[in-house]
Amino acid sequence: MIQFQNVTKSYPLGNNALDDVSFEIEDNEFIFLVGPSGAGKTTILKMLARDIIPTSGTIFIDNEEISSAKFHKVERLRQKIGFVFQDFKILPDRNVFENIAISLEISGTPKNLIKEEVHKTLELVNLVSKARVFPVQLSAGELQRVAIARAVIGERDIILADEPTGNLDPKTTWEIMKIFKKLEDKKTIIIATHNTDIVNSLKKRVIAIKEGQLIADKRKGGYEL
Amino acid sequence: MNGAFISIRRTPYQSFATFLILFLTLFLSVIIIFSLSFLYGLLGYVETRPQLTVYFKADTAENDIFQVRNELMSSGKVLSIKYISKPDAFNIYKDSNKDNPLLLEMVSSDILPPSLEIYSKKPTFMSEIAEFLKKSPGVDEVKFQKVIIDRLLTLTNIIRQTTLVFFASLMFTTIIVLIAITHFKVALKKDEIEILKLLGASNFYIKKPFVFEAMFMGIVAAISATVIFLGILFYFNPFIGSYIRGINSLNVSFFDSYQVTVWPLNPLFLGSLFGIISLFGIIISSIASLLATQKYIK
Repeated sequence: MIQFQNVTKSYPLGNNALDDVSFEIEDNEFIFLVGPSGAGKTTILKMLARDIIPTSGTIFIDNEEISSAKFHKVERLRQKIGFVFQDFKILPDRNVFENIAISLEISGTPKNLIKEEVHKTLELVNLVSKARVFPVQLSAGELQRVAIARAVIGERDIILADEPTGNLDPKTTWEIMKIFKKLEDKKTIIIATHNTDIVNSLKKRVIAIKEGQLIADKRKGGYEL
Repeated sequence: MNGAFISIRRTPYQSFATFLILFLTLFLSVIIIFSLSFLYGLLGYVETRPQLTVYFKADTAENDIFQVRNELMSSGKVLSIKYISKPDAFNIYKDSNKDNPLLLEMVSSDILPPSLEIYSKKPTFMSEIAEFLKKSPGVDEVKFQKVIIDRLLTLTNIIRQTTLVFFASLMFTTIIVLIAITHFKVALKKDEIEILKLLGASNFYIKKPFVFEAMFMGIVAAISATVIFLGILFYFNPFIGSYIRGINSLNVSFFDSYQVTVWPLNPLFLGSLFGIISLFGIIISSIASLLATQKYIK
């Protein structure tokens, strides 16, 4: 379970990236985090990964306060989280298999299990035939599928996707969303987006942020620009 | 280790620069270590020769000589004393000049002086012993190798101190150059490091390929330096052999217990040399890569 309690993030010049934001996300929920550019969506995702910490307020993941300055289990926390970025962030000198396997290597999975797990995940993202292919030979949609595979493999139970379809055409966008749909009720998925078509079609919980403030939190919600 | 090989393949010039600086350092180190060992071996050899010989007048009574010997032994400064009587001296003379009958004819045992060959416990005691002997009755001449030993000691100390300064400068330069090269490599992988950190990789996991690459380079440079040094050494082996003709072996002892033969060349000494150089290469390359990655990977 994820809990944001009165979270504020201020910068030295006085601007607030987040202002007194509170919400809770249950395990295996599917959430859209929506809002215009600069609203604070990425700040929330970065806080969940403890890339930045709030100025005030507290953040809990599975009853552990990760916003505390004394929190030192950052590596273990991040091994529970999978990231999907708009620009994919795939390692260019490793093939598809190695890019996905690295997620398991980092968490210390034995080598004999890695091959099996990667194969299962490649099936999920429909990339079995491209296992030994290098990123330079893949399309944008395929690169994003590799990123999703890397994010969901193993014990990573929270998937944070920051504009995962921002660089994709509409057809590929829906292919990617189908993969996220397959993971529904198995992992906690938080997708930051301003793609109204996707949000309105899927009818999932929507948390809307504007100028750092939470302006709406609706079950089966929609979104308008 | 695979990551290290990928890194070498992707940045060949930086890797070659790493190899070159390590090779140069280790090659100079192996020369320095060998030279110092050889010099210490030579010093040890000279120290085992009779350090001081006192010649008595031909008419000196044996009892007087024994009295001097006993006084020296009881001083606590002497390790051992060997008495060379007139007949002993004549035998030595005969042995030395067996190819020259004319010289043998001219000399009899009566005209050769009896002597004492003295081995002091420390080279620094020799002056005191010589002074004592000069005042003793019946003493004709005191000869000692103080000058040779002193020169050798001074030379060894100068070389040791100079090489220490040179060694420290060499280490400093090598580590700085290695840090600069590794910094460059780390900077090239900045994005990759960021991704790995977001995936929860530990600092050790991220640093591992850089450290392994540096260690690998250290070993390769140590092997190359040792092979080239051995080539040069074996080439000059006959020359060194003729230069120190008459010396059967040179030994160096470590911590007063572990003794290694430096000359003639033996596999144990050369193996130890390679081991020291490899360890040295691994240590400096690891230190440099750890310091270089420390800045970017916290």
